Amino acid sequence: MNSPTSHFVPPRRMGVYDPIHQISMWEENFRSNVSLSASTLLIDDAEIKFDNQSEYASHGIPGTSKQYDQEANRLADKIQRRLAQNREAARKSRLRKKAYVQQLESCRVKLMQLEQEVDHAKQQGLHIGGTGLGSNSLGFAASLNSGIANFEMEYGRWLEERNRHTLALRNALSSHMGDVELGELVDGTMNHYFKLFGMKSAAAKADAFYVMSGMWKSSAERFFFWIGGFRPSEILKILVPRIETMTEQQRSDISNLGKSCQQAEDALSQGMDKLQQMVSESVAAGQLEEQTNTPNMSTAMERLAALVSFVNQADHLRQETLLQMSRILTKRQAARWLLALGEYFQRLQALSSFWANRPSKPAECLIP
Amino acid sequence: MVSENAVIVFGRRGCCMSHVVKRLLLGLGVNPAVYEVEEKDEEGVARELEAIGGGGDNNKVQFPAVFIGGKLFGGLDRIMATHISGELVPILKQAGALWL
Repeated sequence: MNSPTSHFVPPRRMGVYDPIHQISMWEENFRSNVSLSASTLLIDDAEIKFDNQSEYASHGIPGTSKQYDQEANRLADKIQRRLAQNREAARKSRLRKKAYVQQLESCRVKLMQLEQEVDHAKQQGLHIGGTGLGSNSLGFAASLNSGIANFEMEYGRWLEERNRHTLALRNALSSHMGDVELGELVDGTMNHYFKLFGMKSAAAKADAFYVMSGMWKSSAERFFFWIGGFRPSEILKILVPRIETMTEQQRSDISNLGKSCQQAEDALSQGMDKLQQMVSESVAAGQLEEQTNTPNMSTAMERLAALVSFVNQADHLRQETLLQMSRILTKRQAARWLLALGEYFQRLQALSSFWANRPSKPAECLIP
Repeated sequence: MVSENAVIVFGRRGCCMSHVVKRLLLGLGVNPAVYEVEEKDEEGVARELEAIGGGGDNNKVQFPAVFIGGKLFGGLDRIMATHISGELVPILKQAGALWL
């Protein structure tokens, strides 16, 4: 009768799959039990008073020492019991509160994760439908292949790190950091790009089509896509003007680098054309009305294996271009160039966001 | 054949990477000799080329393989890297593959 917790019986088993509902239940119980404890205390107080009065009334004469002792003992017992029950109630109340707070924390974490996923998907310029993230091709591809799912996770982290590097470069340049320290920052930034090439190579082995599709990049970046990434000659053309002072020798070297990049890119592009032609031929060979399980599929598959090599060679070209730039430029110039590179990609991502959020009615088109 | 030509490319028949090497060299103004290796002959040819080898520390031949001036130069990786660094053209000129 006196224990408030005996009134609290969970109406059904609480699983972990319904955190929101669980929290509201906890909240209700928390509140109801607090009020139960309070009311029980009040009842107890009233009882004590009533007991005292009845004791006096039934035994008539107050003052007899034996009666007085008995009453005092009974009263003391009752008080002790009440205190003990209060302590118990308070303890259980604290435990419930702790559990409630833990539920809140885990929900918060989950919410943050969901928000991150939504941001990431929005960055990709994908439409977030009512059915959730699983409905778009990004989620679809990731769920099919653990190598790709891994890559996407790592790429998210890689992007954050890249943004940190960009910020560090900006700060370093505006604060006139020393050359040695700046040099380390430059090397670190370059190595970070090389790390991405390694990640892409592993992802290409898992699914070369996926890497080639650029689905892991924002939509504006995809617009400029060339064999799994940025086109080195384009990057040079756009960003070199951002380096202010260069010697004649440097200008000439960079011009030659641009030409070499272009030539290498052309060769790779022509190789890709040939690959496309070969795959297309092997798919179309024989009667087109035949079933799909003809030997031609295996030929096409064999030929497609070369796609991994193309991704690797294109990344190799990107890597060599970055290395050559670092040879031509001073550390400070390289820092400026890498900063420009990081900012350029960030702006492309921002463009993708703007694009994703553009007004749908043609009459409201953005006037530049 | 290796010693007869300033530049010769050994590649698997129908290999797209060999095609890339060829197009790159052609784009530079080089007219490379090309030897297409049949799949069944791959191993044998690779051994022979390794024997001729003579170039660099890594004697293992992978296709496509490029010989410049009679010596094994390397594969597409090396061609790309040396082209970007600007080292390839002087080497080709030295071997007599380029005159411009």
